[in-house]
Amino acid sequence: MKIKAPAKAGTMESNDIYIMIQPNDEDGIIIELESIVMKQFGKQIKQVILETLESMEIKNIHVVAKDRGALDYTIRARVETAVKRAM
Amino acid sequence: MQDIRIEKIDLNTNQRLEVEGFLSTFNLFFDKDIEYTVVAKVKDEILGTCSYAGKVLKCFAVKEGLQGEGIASKLVTHIINQLFDRGIYESFVFTEPKNLPIFKGLNYHEVHTVEEVSLLEGGMANVKKYTERMLMNSELSAEKKAALVMNCNPFTLGHRYLIEKAAEENEEVVVFIVEENRSLFPFEMRLELVRKGTADLENVHVLAGGSYIISSTTFPSYFLRLEGERLEAYTKLDAGIFGKYIAPVFNIEKRYIGTEPYCRVTSQYNEALLQILPKQGIEIVEVDRLHVQDKAISASEIRRLIKIGDWHSIQSLVHSATYGFLRSDEAKPIIERIKRSDSPH
Repeated sequence: MKIKAPAKAGTMESNDIYIMIQPNDEDGIIIELESIVMKQFGKQIKQVILETLESMEIKNIHVVAKDRGALDYTIRARVETAVKRAM
Repeated sequence: MQDIRIEKIDLNTNQRLEVEGFLSTFNLFFDKDIEYTVVAKVKDEILGTCSYAGKVLKCFAVKEGLQGEGIASKLVTHIINQLFDRGIYESFVFTEPKNLPIFKGLNYHEVHTVEEVSLLEGGMANVKKYTERMLMNSELSAEKKAALVMNCNPFTLGHRYLIEKAAEENEEVVVFIVEENRSLFPFEMRLELVRKGTADLENVHVLAGGSYIISSTTFPSYFLRLEGERLEAYTKLDAGIFGKYIAPVFNIEKRYIGTEPYCRVTSQYNEALLQILPKQGIEIVEVDRLHVQDKAISASEIRRLIKIGDWHSIQSLVHSATYGFLRSDEAKPIIERIKRSDSPH
């Protein structure tokens, strides 16, 4: 699937994540994550975002994620929604 | 705290007065350039508010005692969504340094802090990546450079003199043209006239200044013409950002500035540069302005002459490329605007 336009999903509220995505000029997946629990869960959050993108067969995308302690299924839902809005 | 409502304020009704009243309890004024405002309410009581003007979040306040209840994050989410829908994917906040933790908790990150004010950025904004991209797209080398920052509204022989001097004294020179489109001459035009007017100087590169060099993001007072404390804070902020991000990425070791006999804002800006950049290892070269018939050339003088239609004087003060443009059909709407305008820019 292809990202056509910038899109967003989620909120900046506690226990949620705000996902912004846009087409990537170069090839590949870029994930810029900021999280209040970066030290503890940064790697895992990125992994969940990446897996969600791969399961949707997204190859080129620029993701900016602002996390405020979202659980994995919230992250997956927000990423999926943002991607679907971008197509 | 379940029944918090986020409501948009119609700025043309007396809802606005309500918000102004709320802000006044925080000693905040409702800024003139605000485009959009929301409030958080429970029943009829305002508990918090946030606005934006351009990319900048403004007049943000949450009632004492309720901070930390998630009201701020609701307001910010709403504002960011609004901006996003308008095609603005980045946002900025100016705040007192003591409020830094609040915004960091909302995942804003700190661009730079001076004594009086901090600038933070959010959304897709990223000053480091932005600056690196600027360099990449410019095709400039990694060699040491001298830099100038100019508005060139429009390009005069005074600008040319300053650039020429830098070009003689340095291997490579980069000229950043202020990109913000709030001047009488549109940005594209200003950029093109400087490029044409310096085309013969091989070691001079003219670039767009982007979002972090004298923009409404780094230096709102340049456009608002504010004086006093706020001006001082913003000049220091802009100078600091140049020293912290722009100079290291572009490998800038000197910055050239012209002496400023007329404009208070610019002269205070020069002072801030002199005070801050040498501490960051950047030498400031202050060059006496070019004088013609005992008067320093300035772009504001050119605009005055345009106003009174003194083309003879103008011809002796601007580069031939600028003069050619001013006399062309393309310039007519701009000249009409200058004649009607009282804007300092």
